[in-house]
Amino acid sequence: MKQDIEKLLEKYYEGETTVEEEKELKRYFQNEDIPAHLKSHTAQFGYFVEARNEFPSLLFSSELAAKLDPPKPGTVRQFGSWLIRIAAGLALLIVGFTGGWLFQSRLEQGDNVFLANSKDIASQNAMKDALAFEKMNVNSASERIQAVNQSYELSNVDKDITQLLINTLNFDPNVNVRLAACQALQHFGNEPNVSEALVQSLAIQTDPNLQITLIEVLISIKEKRALVPLQQLVRNQKVMEVVRIRAEQGVNQLSTADV
Amino acid sequence: MDLQAFNQRILPVQGRLFRLAQMFLRNREEAEDAIQDVLLRLWTNRLQLESYQSIDALAVQMTKNLCLDRLKSHQKQKMQDGADVAEVEANVLSPHKQLEDSDSTALIHKLIGELPEQHKLVLHLRDVEEYSFEEIEEVTGLTNANIRVILSRARQKLRDNYLKANDYEAGY
Repeated sequence: MKQDIEKLLEKYYEGETTVEEEKELKRYFQNEDIPAHLKSHTAQFGYFVEARNEFPSLLFSSELAAKLDPPKPGTVRQFGSWLIRIAAGLALLIVGFTGGWLFQSRLEQGDNVFLANSKDIASQNAMKDALAFEKMNVNSASERIQAVNQSYELSNVDKDITQLLINTLNFDPNVNVRLAACQALQHFGNEPNVSEALVQSLAIQTDPNLQITLIEVLISIKEKRALVPLQQLVRNQKVMEVVRIRAEQGVNQLSTADV
Repeated sequence: MDLQAFNQRILPVQGRLFRLAQMFLRNREEAEDAIQDVLLRLWTNRLQLESYQSIDALAVQMTKNLCLDRLKSHQKQKMQDGADVAEVEANVLSPHKQLEDSDSTALIHKLIGELPEQHKLVLHLRDVEEYSFEEIEEVTGLTNANIRVILSRARQKLRDNYLKANDYEAGY
């Protein structure tokens, strides 16, 4: 055996050994008990065997696999020529501007109608609130006058509002508020219940200032039914002189208009 | 050739290529980097691969060339960085080197590294990878007789150098 190995070694250094014989040498030098004079060969063959067991790390293999088979890129199609790109840009701009313009115009229209409506409703509500009978003591006179004046801004008036104004005219404790209500009602003189209420109010009112204003309002709307209460006023000695004169003038004007 | 076929044919060779690269470059990371490069190149040229007789031999050749290229560019860098420093380092054994030399396997590794490139390659293919002479012919393009001569010289040189280094150590 030892002879064989020595011969093999000789052949080995001549480069004449076969792969099989070299394998035998490697196996031999893997053993523990090797004669001293052959020991110096151990390192060499040991290295050959050891070197063959070297492999790239696992991490390397997985990295390589990832590189060989990269994840498919997304199917985002590139815009071909620069012409298409420019066209797309322009189309975007046009769509943006028309969209913005349409939106803006619609917003304005809607705004106008909606705002007008809501304004009306809001001011009506505010008015009703301020003039409500039970709140008469809570709101100050000037607040009530302001509320009455809001009626000028209303475009369309319903019965609630006129009734509210009539109530204010007849029952508000403050003369100035009643005056304001009277003047406000002048605007709605063509409504039947308003003119009737004005005629009735003439009989009720005692304040000369308000009486004169009422007479003027009735004359301006040419209310015939006011003739009777006016004649009563003329005959009534308790009423102030100025008022009686004005009432007389009113009677004359109304009766001449009748002719 | 799809990925599966490629894996079946090339990946078994991976270890062999890695050892070859490691023998040349003497650095694990660089060797992995190099064979990754080789495998990627094979993959990108997989359509032409069918026309080659032996993909193994091609891969080994590619690895060898790539490693030699890298070594050359490294040497160039070193020359530019400071040839003097390298020389000084070569003459004085650092404590680290001495420790490395004490490990006989590492010493052999180092001594193989000092052999001429042709010798290195033939010795590695034969003694580590156990290639037949025909396979070595295919990879290196040398004749059978030539390979035997180179192999014989490389083995003797390695042995001489090893004994010298050991004697030097013993006498030191």
